[in-house]
Amino acid sequence: MSLATVIDPSTEASPSGGDEVLVLDEVSKHYPTTPPVVALDSVSLTITRGELVAIVGASGSGKSTLLNIVGTLDRPTAGRVLIEGTATTDLSDTGLAGLRSNRIGFVFQQFHLLEQVPAIENVATGLLYRGVSGRTRRRLAREALVRVGLEHRINHLPSKLSGGERQRVAIARAIVGEPAIVLADEPTGNLDSRTSEDIVALLRRLHREGSTIVVITHDRELAESLPRRVTIRDGRIVGDERVTTAGAAAS
Amino acid sequence: MTTTASTPVAAPEAGTGAAPGTRPGLRRRHRSRLRTTDALATGLHGLRGRKSRALLTALGIALGIASMVAVTGISASSKADLLAEIDRIGTNLLQVQGGNSVFGDAAPLPVEAPAMVRRIGPVQDASAVSSLKTEVFRNTFDEKANGLDVIATEPQLLNTLEGSVAAGRFLDAETSTLPTVVLGSVAAERLGIDDLDGAPTVDIAGRRFAVIGILDAFPLNPDLDRSVFIGNDAAENILGAELVPTAIYLRTTPEQVEAVREVLAATVSPTAPNEVSVSRPSDALEARAQVDQNLQNLLLGLGGIALLVGGVGIANVMIIAVLERRSEIGLRRALGATRRHIATQFILESASLAAFGGVLGIAVGTVVTIGYARRQGWLIDIPVTALAGGVVAALLLGALAGLYPASRAARLDPADAVRPG
Repeated sequence: MSLATVIDPSTEASPSGGDEVLVLDEVSKHYPTTPPVVALDSVSLTITRGELVAIVGASGSGKSTLLNIVGTLDRPTAGRVLIEGTATTDLSDTGLAGLRSNRIGFVFQQFHLLEQVPAIENVATGLLYRGVSGRTRRRLAREALVRVGLEHRINHLPSKLSGGERQRVAIARAIVGEPAIVLADEPTGNLDSRTSEDIVALLRRLHREGSTIVVITHDRELAESLPRRVTIRDGRIVGDERVTTAGAAAS
Repeated sequence: MTTTASTPVAAPEAGTGAAPGTRPGLRRRHRSRLRTTDALATGLHGLRGRKSRALLTALGIALGIASMVAVTGISASSKADLLAEIDRIGTNLLQVQGGNSVFGDAAPLPVEAPAMVRRIGPVQDASAVSSLKTEVFRNTFDEKANGLDVIATEPQLLNTLEGSVAAGRFLDAETSTLPTVVLGSVAAERLGIDDLDGAPTVDIAGRRFAVIGILDAFPLNPDLDRSVFIGNDAAENILGAELVPTAIYLRTTPEQVEAVREVLAATVSPTAPNEVSVSRPSDALEARAQVDQNLQNLLLGLGGIALLVGGVGIANVMIIAVLERRSEIGLRRALGATRRHIATQFILESASLAAFGGVLGIAVGTVVTIGYARRQGWLIDIPVTALAGGVVAALLLGALAGLYPASRAARLDPADAVRPG
């Protein structure tokens, strides 16, 4: 079943022709503290559909600010952010919420699951603010849980799941609505190294299946294993490497 | 995606914007949408897994609503009982007495007054009583003052007053001429006569009278409960009393009560109508119902204060909930919830807490009312408007209490809220 036909008829027929999912154009973010902090300094970056990109940097490098701006949770001080051609600066707070509900999927370091409801409900919450019926939400949530390999944990409460399983639930929630872009903020930050490898493998598989994924991390090793690495330091992009064979090598 | 089969899907919730294939360049607008049922579900989400807190928070409202329901229920039941009693004994009983003369004594009524009263059209029934200036004792050896009246009357009196006998019978045409008495309920108690076993007698002016009946308390004429009744003939012939009517009791057709009341004084005493006092004994009961109303208002006010305190309690707990649930709020914002969706969630949560309290309060209030009314032997009357009003008041109060916490939740910076710590 094509998810796109159910919830977002425009996914495949992306207008404006370009396959640029995300464009940052001279984006800056200043915090008016004393002394003023320049978190991002004229960052320009383009991510096309189907990419798997690592944004890597030490803490305080500005990568969290970048994530918030790309995820439309925060607005830049200067510059433009285009998500599938839509300038976020033109949108109201409500418009940004609409963009997030339809086009952006989030994966957080702390999972951010609702503890009172089972895995399937957590995943279904990913479609809650799209006006999709409860029945359809649960059906798609079940499919997403199967995709992340949790078909045996569908009705478990988060407290009954391991850390890796919790992050899989969070990933299922991020992809359930087939967003244009999945933003994963330190997705392995709270996991041991073996579980981290599983999660990275899952992200790679989802990427092969067509998802556009941006992983924000301070973990160089993790970043090395992804096909594209954008390195950020002191609010500037200092490196952008593509390893065209990385995906093939890893698999 | 390999699962992209040709399954026809025509989900009605498909897109809100343009369908695929619309004019290039015309970008579909992405909107956040939250179904009404889902909004309600989010309002209940915060109460899951926090049941004891929800219960305690709702308790304040529950107490307020319970006390208000109990107060209105109990006073309505009490009133219903009183009104039923008034209804049973009727509001068409009037009482005529000699008012105070210029010398301060109770003025007697003219001898022909009873006949005059009976001649008024709407009067259905009338009975006169004559208070005798004598005393009654259990026997000649025990002549202590007991405050009892000896009253001469006619057999019709019991009927006019709609009284009833507890034991024996009332005076009739025959016993009215004999040395027999009937005791009012208080008189019987004071004379120490509980029943008619052993043919009790009483002593009036040195003569022995046989007790042939004991009355129940009169609902409207408690003064008569202190009386000992003898027949008019017996009073004249045995005690040698000169009968002057001191009071007349009469029943009118229910529609004409006021009209009769107007003409009564002039009819009874055409020469000195202002020395006649006319009263309606049921007025006293209605006044009692009115007194209850004042007490009810006071108690309602107290219930209202309890409700208000409950509302403040909810607002308090909701503010704490917003602080505790920053990350949930951040998550929902990241998932596409608008500020309005977040505010709605917390207002609904607050309102459902209060509604829960309201329903609990109504249940408790109803049980208390039924229990109390049963104990008192009253009719049970729980005003439905009070119940509906209770729920509506709780809902409104809850929504109001949630306004400020909800606006704080909605104003949270989503980037801040998803951040750990």
